[in-house]
Amino acid sequence: MNAAVPAALLSRRSLIRAAGLAGAAALIPLTGCTAAGGPRNGITTLRFMQNKPEVVAYFNQVIKDFEALNPDIHVVQDFNEGNFVPSLVRNDPPDVVTRGFATETAEFVRKGIFADLSDLPVAKTVDPKFQDLVNSWGQYKGHETSALPFSVAAAGVIYNRDLFAAHGVAVPTTWDAFVAACETFKAAGITPIYGTFKDAWTLRQGAFDYVTGGMLDVGAFFKDLMAKGARISQQAPESFSNHYASSLPKILQLASFSQNGAASKNYADGNAAFAKGQAAMYLQGPWALSQLVQANQDIQLGTFPLPVTNNPEETKVRVNVDMALSITRNTPNRAAAERFLNYLLEPSVVNTYNEKNAAFSPLINAPADSNPHLSGVAAHVGEGRYYQGAGTYFPPSIPMNNYIQSFIYNKNGEQFLSTVDAEWRRVAERTAV
Amino acid sequence: MTASNTLPDAGNAGPAGTAPSQPGKPRPPRFRRTSREGYRINWWLTALMLVASLTILVPLYFTVAMALKSPDQIGTGTGLAWPNPLNWENFAKAYVATNFPKAFLSTALVTIFSVLGALASSSLVAYAIARNWNRRFFRGSFVYLLSAMFIPFPVIILPLIKQTALLGLDNPAGVAFLHILGGISFNTLLYIAFVRAIPVELEESARMDGATTWQVFFKIILPLLAPMNATVGIFAFLGSWNDFLLPQMIIADPALQTLPVVQMLFQGEFNTDYSLAFASYLMAMAPTLVVYILAQRWVLSGVMRGAVK
Repeated sequence: MNAAVPAALLSRRSLIRAAGLAGAAALIPLTGCTAAGGPRNGITTLRFMQNKPEVVAYFNQVIKDFEALNPDIHVVQDFNEGNFVPSLVRNDPPDVVTRGFATETAEFVRKGIFADLSDLPVAKTVDPKFQDLVNSWGQYKGHETSALPFSVAAAGVIYNRDLFAAHGVAVPTTWDAFVAACETFKAAGITPIYGTFKDAWTLRQGAFDYVTGGMLDVGAFFKDLMAKGARISQQAPESFSNHYASSLPKILQLASFSQNGAASKNYADGNAAFAKGQAAMYLQGPWALSQLVQANQDIQLGTFPLPVTNNPEETKVRVNVDMALSITRNTPNRAAAERFLNYLLEPSVVNTYNEKNAAFSPLINAPADSNPHLSGVAAHVGEGRYYQGAGTYFPPSIPMNNYIQSFIYNKNGEQFLSTVDAEWRRVAERTAV
Repeated sequence: MTASNTLPDAGNAGPAGTAPSQPGKPRPPRFRRTSREGYRINWWLTALMLVASLTILVPLYFTVAMALKSPDQIGTGTGLAWPNPLNWENFAKAYVATNFPKAFLSTALVTIFSVLGALASSSLVAYAIARNWNRRFFRGSFVYLLSAMFIPFPVIILPLIKQTALLGLDNPAGVAFLHILGGISFNTLLYIAFVRAIPVELEESARMDGATTWQVFFKIILPLLAPMNATVGIFAFLGSWNDFLLPQMIIADPALQTLPVVQMLFQGEFNTDYSLAFASYLMAMAPTLVVYILAQRWVLSGVMRGAVK
């Protein structure tokens, strides 16, 4: 061992020295880069943070086109949404932000993170009924427009057109017809609905949101609930126990049409199995379509809104604002950010995006959606017959997905609702201002 | 050759089995082979190790197979099948999509500085503490350093973001700095145990020859710490190369982001591009694999040296 020391010493020292030199040399460009930021050579650099990594390529093209038209602006795209809160902490948020619009983003709106966009001319081109989806989460100071919708996703029941045709089943428009369709498939030995209960969010997004949204006025319910604040109790007329009990049997009935062993299947399993035609229906939103088509290019798919009552006029579809555009309030590049946002909301940009991504454009006079996968829900979206899923109203501090999952397994509706009431009260009490 | 292998090897492979070796007869080489040091090979342990190695090899096989599949090959079969035809273009696509060279450079710089910093800072601290153990201040500072291990990282992440932003460290340099800082308590713990085992007499003789404290450290202690340097270096390398949370939170400029964060590109909320993701993971893993294979001997020898002392 002692003999080995000098040799080891020599090689290690030269190694470290070499590495140190290389590192020091390499650090020079690194520090050069970190000095970036602020207008340089008359070019304003905008940071654009968007929330969907899968559409980075599309926005790269959009940015390229925008920069060609606006040579004085350089846009940097950032899809690392996890850096949004840190950027607020370091008081250096991105200039233009897209976010999925639900509880968490509403929280930022309430704190006044985003600038008021109501004066922008482009705000007038957004269909008011879609703008209401954003505004329903609360407006800063009661009147500001903190975000403009960019993409609206409509989720219903994805169905396999070939299986429906082969068994002579028409798209159901009433609950009874839907149950009859499920029985038909069951009798033919085909799984009516592919269940992926292992991923609890699919139960929340599917059975829970669809049934409650189709039966109740979810938006009004949560408005009352939030107005009540910390004073909510299980006995209060606004409680979950008072409103949701009627919807629970149908949620359980939906779950019972799933295949055996649904408890051990997750979302990815579900996509793979449904793409192979192992079930007739699938309670998923348009985000699953690209995965299904990727796994089986020949599959013929359609989507219809789940009819939860026996009156077809009452059938509604679940929507969510998948992307909403905002400008952060304290950005030093407000003018440039507004120009970029205007460009993003040009019909050619926003309509093309939504057509490509199986979503709906929020603009007035947007062309009718021709995507055959979405044909069954397009009319409902156009007529404004939709709701935002009840599950999206819960703050992350209430593990709603897990409560719904355990309700599906133990079928104890009373316990489920009283738990949700207690959880809602707990959070309301702690966050009351 | 070693003494135990003196019998002529006639080349006739004996019958398989556990027949005891008979003197005078040529041994079946496959079952009585001895290593250079004269150890017998323990076949039961070897079999156990082979089974254990599957825990690494099977996931690695999946990674490679997935990286070479096209999207429609992914959904079919059990997933165990080797893809045919092979889709090498996944690597090219992932390379372009992640802007691989830039992200790789950023990650490499963070890692190099983290490793060098961890080695330099922790070994110095450990030497100072171990050789001044009789002083209250040094014992106290050891406890102080150790107590940092009990602070869960998520608790301090927001203050850290604020501090790094104020100090202009919201970039890869800040991440490297925090890696060094974060590792200092554990690495010092490792070093101190090792430094204590080095006889003080070695240093005393160097001092007799007129060496200063720095010379003693660099010429006597640091070379003797070699096995522990390798261990700490490998821990620092792996921790820094694979770190996701810190770069995600600290690095403000997306152009300087590190590989693990950039690779998030392939995982949407509802969509995962498995083939590109795995191709990209494989490219990111390559340096780790190479370093691990090269440095493995040092780690093992370090463990054994520490054990004998």
